[in-house]
Amino acid sequence: MKLQNKINSRFLIVTLLVFTVAGVIFYFSLGHLIDHNIKGILKSRRTNIIQYLQHNKTDSILHGSPDRTIFIHQIAKIQDRSRITDTLAFDVRKKELVPFRKMVFTTTVDNNCFEVTILQSLIESEDLQAIIFYFMSILFFLILLALFFVNRWLSDKAWKPFFNSLSLLKSWKISDKKQISFDQTDISEFDQLNRMLEEMIQKMQTDFINLKEFTENASHEIQTPLAIIKSKLELLLNDNELSVLQHKRLRDAFESTTRLSKLNDALLLLSKIENKQFVEKVDVDFCKLISSRLEYLEELFALKQIELSVQLDIRVIISINPMLADILINNLLSNALKHNFNHGKLIISSEINKITFANTGNPLSIDPSKLFKRFVKNNTSEESTGLGLAITTEICKANHLRLNYNFSNDLHIFTLVS
Amino acid sequence: MGLLLKKNTVKILVVEDEKMLCETIISYLEGEGYICEQAGTIGIGTEKINLYEYDCMLVDIGLPDGNGLSLVRELKKCHPDTGIIIISAKNSLDDKIMGLDLGADDYLTKPFHLSELNSRIKSLLRRRKFEGQKELIVGQIRILPENRQVFIENELLPITKKEFDLLLYFISNPGRVLTKESIAEHLWGDFADASDSFDFVYSHIKNLRRKLLEKTGTEYFRNVYGTGYLFE
Repeated sequence: MKLQNKINSRFLIVTLLVFTVAGVIFYFSLGHLIDHNIKGILKSRRTNIIQYLQHNKTDSILHGSPDRTIFIHQIAKIQDRSRITDTLAFDVRKKELVPFRKMVFTTTVDNNCFEVTILQSLIESEDLQAIIFYFMSILFFLILLALFFVNRWLSDKAWKPFFNSLSLLKSWKISDKKQISFDQTDISEFDQLNRMLEEMIQKMQTDFINLKEFTENASHEIQTPLAIIKSKLELLLNDNELSVLQHKRLRDAFESTTRLSKLNDALLLLSKIENKQFVEKVDVDFCKLISSRLEYLEELFALKQIELSVQLDIRVIISINPMLADILINNLLSNALKHNFNHGKLIISSEINKITFANTGNPLSIDPSKLFKRFVKNNTSEESTGLGLAITTEICKANHLRLNYNFSNDLHIFTLVS
Repeated sequence: MGLLLKKNTVKILVVEDEKMLCETIISYLEGEGYICEQAGTIGIGTEKINLYEYDCMLVDIGLPDGNGLSLVRELKKCHPDTGIIIISAKNSLDDKIMGLDLGADDYLTKPFHLSELNSRIKSLLRRRKFEGQKELIVGQIRILPENRQVFIENELLPITKKEFDLLLYFISNPGRVLTKESIAEHLWGDFADASDSFDFVYSHIKNLRRKLLEKTGTEYFRNVYGTGYLFE
């Protein structure tokens, strides 16, 4: 959820809640006030009527008032309490039943008992209450609308430096040698944040360069002695005076040195991929790449008499570092070749955003989930470093690709999904 | 040997700070009949290329007093005809591209096989000295490297691309034991350990050997204790 939307929606919800509660309270207070008011009116009318009855002849008013809101009856016995109830009565003007509040009380004038009924129309006060309520609602709504836009405008303005920094960070890559610099803002918190970011980025860049230098230096330092050992052994192997046994020992040493240097290469490559040192990406047509690699490997497949079936009509284009793309395809093809039978099969096919490599071969002797781990070998083959598929996995991870493995119909199936 | 390169005139400068490696390279190359000189720093290297003329320079990128690429630049200025091979421990694509852009002819990553280095030097000298038009004659075998053709007694030998590469590699390193590893790497590069490549080396050599034996009646290849092969 976007920051703006989050703030705005929370703000809106809280405001709506407050307005609703306030509205309800207001509505009921208003009702209560009107009730109270009507009660007051009824009471004052009662006092007036009692006074009137005491001062005037009772006969004249026994018929009630002309507006049919006061009715007076003579009764036999006096009752204690006055009652206030709600009722419906016929309104002459409106010609319909409208709500009235009715007060019934008894009083004694000249030893005569009277029951007096006063009717007070509620229609005006209800109308009043409704009008006030509607008016307030509209007012609330307008305030809400205004607050919403003002708030959005304000937060847009206030957060602008933040979004500027964010877009700068988004476009920044660690491999960029240029220093990132944020604009001065008029908000001190953002200035602080920007300064911290600048410091962090500078530190990261230094660390990255150090790391890069270290990996390359490590490679240099290890490869040079290895080169010396290898070349000395090669010279020795050309010595004609060696005995068979000496020659065999030398050969073993030579082979191990070769393996060591391959391991070193592979581990360095892994750390370089993990350190995201391959940043330059281009769109690589994987189908074209596979075809050209296959051409190169044609012979190796032919020698093992592997039946190749290639279906690469659907183009798969992936944005990736070209060197990594090369290594990725090399490793997958090598894998399909190395672990294949003589007279085996390799089926390569492409779908939309998907390339499948299916090859025959002995079923795995290891847990398939461990297949992509480092130094895991299916059979302890001496030539294999056990890093090929680990490198493949790292390349996929670094380029947001997926590599799936499953075994079905006696085929090892690797699927590359972009 | 029947190579038409006048070996006694080929001078090579090896610029490498690692003494032992430098000695090994020189000892191997001197065994090939080249005259070699060594320089351990850019300073000495610059001095030498300004004083003498070399046919080829091998230069390490990481030198104690700077980047070997500056020496490439320097050499291109004073002797543009000298062949340049960069040897580097950094398998870095940037360095490789930059080196080749500056005019280097080849790029080898450490550790390399001496036989590979030798074959690259030979191919470089062939291209540089004779503008590519050169034939190599070994016994009854005549090779036209530029056309990638092999003739036995004026008869074209049907040969595959890989077999040709293999033959040229052996002819560049006569009388040397070529290990299976170096042959596999020479033929398939990064794919050398892609497969049971030693079997393939074996099968390629078997085919080549058979073809040559049929036409010439001579056994050129010798297996050396399972380590590799020798071309005689």
